[in-house]
Amino acid sequence: MLHLTNLRKKFGQNVAVDDLSLDIRPGEIFGLLGPNGAGKTTTVNMTVGLLKPDAGTISINGEGSPEDPRVRRRIGVATQALALYEEMSGEENIRFFATMQGLSGAERSERVAWALEFVGLTDRRRDKAAEYSGGMKRRLNLAIAVVHKPALLLLDEPTVGVDPQSRNAIFDNILSLREQGATVVYTTHYMEEAQRLCDRVGIIDHGKLLALDSVDALIEAHGGESRVIAKRAEGDVEITTRDPLAELQKLQAESTLQTFRVEWPDLEHVFLNLTGRSLRD
Amino acid sequence: MQQLLALTAKDLRLLARDKVGFFFAFVFPILYASLFGSIMGGMSEGASGMQVAVVDEDGTQQSGEFVAQLEALDELTVTKTDRQQAQDWVRRGKRVAFIVLPEGFGEARRQMFGNPPRVEIGLDPSRAAESGMLQGILTAQLYKGIQEMFTNPDVMNAKLDETLADIQKADDMDPLMRTTLSAFLPALKAFTADMPKGESQTGGFPQPKIEKVDVTRQQSGPQNAYEISFPQGCIWGIMGCAAGFGITLVVERTRGTLVRLRMAPISRMHILAGKGLACLITTLAVGATLFGLAAIVFHVRPHSYVSLVVALVCIALCFVGIMMLLSVLGKTEQSAGGIGWGILVMMAMIGGGMIPLAFMPAWMQQVSVISPIKWSILAMEGAIWRDFTAAEMFTPCAVLIGIGVVSFAVGLRAFKWSD
Repeated sequence: MLHLTNLRKKFGQNVAVDDLSLDIRPGEIFGLLGPNGAGKTTTVNMTVGLLKPDAGTISINGEGSPEDPRVRRRIGVATQALALYEEMSGEENIRFFATMQGLSGAERSERVAWALEFVGLTDRRRDKAAEYSGGMKRRLNLAIAVVHKPALLLLDEPTVGVDPQSRNAIFDNILSLREQGATVVYTTHYMEEAQRLCDRVGIIDHGKLLALDSVDALIEAHGGESRVIAKRAEGDVEITTRDPLAELQKLQAESTLQTFRVEWPDLEHVFLNLTGRSLRD
Repeated sequence: MQQLLALTAKDLRLLARDKVGFFFAFVFPILYASLFGSIMGGMSEGASGMQVAVVDEDGTQQSGEFVAQLEALDELTVTKTDRQQAQDWVRRGKRVAFIVLPEGFGEARRQMFGNPPRVEIGLDPSRAAESGMLQGILTAQLYKGIQEMFTNPDVMNAKLDETLADIQKADDMDPLMRTTLSAFLPALKAFTADMPKGESQTGGFPQPKIEKVDVTRQQSGPQNAYEISFPQGCIWGIMGCAAGFGITLVVERTRGTLVRLRMAPISRMHILAGKGLACLITTLAVGATLFGLAAIVFHVRPHSYVSLVVALVCIALCFVGIMMLLSVLGKTEQSAGGIGWGILVMMAMIGGGMIPLAFMPAWMQQVSVISPIKWSILAMEGAIWRDFTAAEMFTPCAVLIGIGVVSFAVGLRAFKWSD
């Protein structure tokens, strides 16, 4: 669906994206995980044609580069910044951007109604966007991105500043879009979100792609060992192992365990092992 | 095209919902033009009465008394002069009308019988309302003398004595008439001696004659102060539009909606054209609103409506370019607004947007050529009262379009699509 080949972008002396290549498969949710400043938004901006790469190529669905308006018509973007007209109602915002995407007449009305329903804003459709909560604005942002039924959806940090209820609603929306056949590129610096949603994850730092695979495969390859922490009458035990279940069985055989817990490696550990620093640094 | 119209409609909708922006685009200019028009009107007229010139060609005591009678009226502001000067003033619009008391006016007023007093009035045929009002005032004043005679026995008796003396002196009078009047008038005198004051009527006596002379007014200057204040007010509204739309471009950039629009399958020129079209439409709407109101309420009648439309279109195009330039002057809404209004107010100061250019020192009038405000006001005044020909309209219109094109090009070159 989306092919980025040897993309490179510099701002002055700062290399924002460095020889990045990605192949995003149709119908998958692809996570681009990295800390702030890793080059995620620059990659998204090049993918939608806002920035011209210094080198490399972008191809969407084999139809060409995003500089072509017909190709851009196939893309939906939920920007990191809430790009809304605050003095217009939620419905007016969606209708306006639907018109910008070339929709008109009955089709536009139908899609606007669908988008409102999809993000759960039908009841508040006539309220000004300025009167929405942060979570509702994020949902409106998503509705604008999907109103024209794009084949490729780019979601740039779509849950920043959102309450847990709206975050869950947004996750449900994204999973629903995948079921409907959309391809989703999801950039985030929250490893929990990538782990929960994404079929595959690319880890990016300083503009370079460090690793790319399914969540399980990444953890298996780069997550390191699990930790087993157990409490026994003789004292506490802490073991680092690749097979925590086997270690627990061995400890149980030796003496009775009062309590225990297993700390599994996650994407945070993957990033730490790949870069030597935390995602939140 | 659909996208372009949607972009324009969006900006117009946002302007309509922005109460402050709407106030400065539409309401403030009307207040400005009305207020300054009334102040300037008061300064130039000096009094609220209809300005008339009075020519006393009779030069008698009666005519002098009648002039004094007119001068005492609140409805008129009287200036005494000769006929030629009076005609010239009316022709050039310096006075609304002139009144001539021709030779014989005093004698006719003095006589109880015979020819009625005759008065000439001269004014532009288009001033129907003023004509009717002036005739009414004069008729009332001429009747006032007759009424006084019939309501005051002392005045009546004096008049009868004068008339009897005239009859005795009149050698050419028909003897039968002389005998009849010599018997009738003393009887009338005896009757009025018993008449209570204030009960008599004027019916049956000769009506005063008011003859109208048409004097076609020349369009040689503004006919009222609103013809100066409304172009100035209009400029303030147009400056409000340019500043407002310029700031909305900055707001769209800082809030990210401009980036979102760029992601849509439309060109950059579509986006800017939508903004420019909204600015153009609003600017023309400001002009139409102000001059519509000026025509209906303040009797501002442009010499040429076609020229006024051409002037407004050129001004609107100029300020669309200026709007584009203003949008690149600041990174934030606040800085763009501050810098933009600072520049616009400066242009208004030197261009006659605050004080009419005619009241400025000569060097300031020379400097004003750099201000688009000067050319805007000149184009509007050319259409309203300066009586510009098409060739004369060309200069301000060409300068305005030139400023607009250059400003738009510079603004476009410096424009940043994202922070």
